[in-house]
Amino acid sequence: MANERTDLMQGTLELLILNTLARESMHGYGIVQRIHEAAEDLLKVEDGSLYPALYRMEERGWIKSEWGVSENNRRAKFYKLTSKGKRKLEAESANWNRISKAITKVLQAT
Amino acid sequence: MKIPLRSNRKKTAFEVEEELRFHIEMLERKYAQQGMSHAQAKAAAWKRFGNLERVKKQCVHISLRNSLLRRVLKTASILIALTGLLIYILSSDYKVARIGTVLIMIAVCGRLLVYVRGLSPNTHNESART
Repeated sequence: MANERTDLMQGTLELLILNTLARESMHGYGIVQRIHEAAEDLLKVEDGSLYPALYRMEERGWIKSEWGVSENNRRAKFYKLTSKGKRKLEAESANWNRISKAITKVLQAT
Repeated sequence: MKIPLRSNRKKTAFEVEEELRFHIEMLERKYAQQGMSHAQAKAAAWKRFGNLERVKKQCVHISLRNSLLRRVLKTASILIALTGLLIYILSSDYKVARIGTVLIMIAVCGRLLVYVRGLSPNTHNESART
């Protein structure tokens, strides 16, 4: 399975994080697990690479963080989507759909 | 000015490390539940996470760049610059206009200070952005 894993395209990690947080607030570990589960482990995401992306997204105001207690009673930082983040998710999802449709059309035409 | 920035950096670094170590511990726990030995689970967790120090440096840098003090300094420098510019434009008296010039210079220096601190050798330059 490891050999069949695909590298993420630049910028798509943020879209995946926004989409994951659209359902509920989560800590970083939970976000990565949800992405791996949803992608059936086909995407190559180094867990550590998630955090700089989360911090940048918080800086841009797309997500907000607060310390809470995890499922195993440990102090953990939870992230949630802001209204700005929701708008960003809608825009980026629409953009992604347009790009993937266009690429599929090109591939089918050749 | 240096003391709050330093203590803020220390606190931020501590919190970032706590957050990242929580992630690694959760991975260790998951691998141990899958039947790995303690040593195997630990090695697998660290491998899966990647370079902790690099990630930590990036997160601390981004976090400090976004700190309240830094935002206050940025906003204050913009306000001072605008005030200076208004005084400079609206004033007909040479002496008052000079106050405007001084205010603009203070704002530029303040902005440079924030910028330089963001690029100082103590902070990571985010060249390894993901």
